Amino acid sequence: MAAGLGFKTFTSGEVLTAADTNGYLMQGVMVFASASARTAAITAPTEGQYSYLKDTNSTEYYDGAAWVAGVEGDISGVTAGTGISGGGTSGTVTVTNSMATTITTKGDLVPGTGSGTFARLAAGNNGESLYADSAATTGLRYSATPSASNPVLNSAMQVWQRGTSISLTASSGVVYTADRWATSTNANQACTVARQATGDTTNLPSIQYAMRYQRNSGQTGTGLLLTTQSFETINSIPFAGKTVTVSFYARAGANFSSASSVLVNYLMTGTGTDQNRQSGAYTGEVTGNNNATLTTTWQRFSYTYSVAATATEIATGFAYTPVGTASTNDYFEVTGVQIDIGSVALPFRTNAGTIQGELAACQRYYWRNTPGQSYGFFGTGTTTGTTSGWGFVTFPVNMRTIPSTLDYSTIALQDSATNILAVTVASLGENSVYGCTLALTVSGATANRPARLISNNNSAAYIGVGAEL
Amino acid sequence: MDNVTFLEIEALGGIQTHAFIDHGNGEFTSMLKSIYDEQQAQAEHFTPIVTNGD
Repeated sequence: MAAGLGFKTFTSGEVLTAADTNGYLMQGVMVFASASARTAAITAPTEGQYSYLKDTNSTEYYDGAAWVAGVEGDISGVTAGTGISGGGTSGTVTVTNSMATTITTKGDLVPGTGSGTFARLAAGNNGESLYADSAATTGLRYSATPSASNPVLNSAMQVWQRGTSISLTASSGVVYTADRWATSTNANQACTVARQATGDTTNLPSIQYAMRYQRNSGQTGTGLLLTTQSFETINSIPFAGKTVTVSFYARAGANFSSASSVLVNYLMTGTGTDQNRQSGAYTGEVTGNNNATLTTTWQRFSYTYSVAATATEIATGFAYTPVGTASTNDYFEVTGVQIDIGSVALPFRTNAGTIQGELAACQRYYWRNTPGQSYGFFGTGTTTGTTSGWGFVTFPVNMRTIPSTLDYSTIALQDSATNILAVTVASLGENSVYGCTLALTVSGATANRPARLISNNNSAAYIGVGAEL
Repeated sequence: MDNVTFLEIEALGGIQTHAFIDHGNGEFTSMLKSIYDEQQAQAEHFTPIVTNGD
């Protein structure tokens, strides 16, 4: 069979030729009852002939050697799989990438939320970083890059210049214990605040020490026991108008008497300047608090607070209300105290990053020199009369302000004739943030002899100067 | 028990009154009387300054 001639419109009266018949009319689909009927009818098929078989409702064409099934699609439907929507079984079928349509805004990410599932994660704010967070739906979150360091000084309870165990009398007034941490007790609440080894490398990220705040056994006072750290205004301003998260590690003693073993965390803000929150409420104070339920095992707690844009002072603290008479282990321990900008606690870090830096940061508020030997050196001096002298002490770091308090124990002047002149009274004389003159009362001195200020045969002797808030 | 005495100390700016606190264990604290008075005022007015958040 020759190839078809194409399509032709015959005109009225036109003679139908054999060529027309073979070239046009015989190019159609021939209909047969069955393949056998076709074989009977077409004994010598030629390539390109097309037939329709009624018994099988199928088309076949002759390829020059045999009748073969006509070409037709075998897809009966399109079903949307994972991450795809749409589909159908007829007509025009549309499928859509669902992950693509989840994106609505520039910067969006589409993280997985589980096996075969995903969700939109909106772009963070300018400057924020992306962090893994198993608590978030997508396992990721944007958070402010920690441009501000942890403002809590001595956050890991490493620095105890005043001693590693501080005894507090009942109704103590404000007393500093671990550096930068102040407290005060109420009636019938003699307490002890002491450094303790955490002894836990599983639940704590390598924090060696904690503060133990203990109501002494047998004490009956049930007033609120609170310890706080107040930040200078210059260190508080960076947190104004921000959402902040206070995080800390804590555990309870076996006889922690607080109802439901609750330790209250506070974040207090004010609008004054450089006030000590332990001494009383801030000017324009706003107090936020959350309850941490302690066990005898270390846990990390974190609480989010909003700091008003007008805040110029921040303090954080911990408190509990004792119940009944204290037993032998009525205490809580706390360490790893941190404040982060944002709503998530970042991994713990100290303010300075090194013990040297932490000590220096604390010494800006209080510095104690404990030479640790019988006649250890504090500074130079001179006698000024038979009962008076001066001592000159230089501070290792500039203090926050000119110091206002002097602590001392068992100090002496040794004059150039090697006489040891015990100091009975010492006070701050002319001083600055760099150093101070101590006005000293001695006895049996010879006036105007150069001298050195030393510990008086006591390795526990010390001189401390304070510039706390 | 703390024992507090007040002494006048000669300084370049004139006579200053200092408070001397004898803590009774060989330890002492001294400060200007004005600072001591300020601290005492805080202590006398001290009451639990926040309440348990239960």
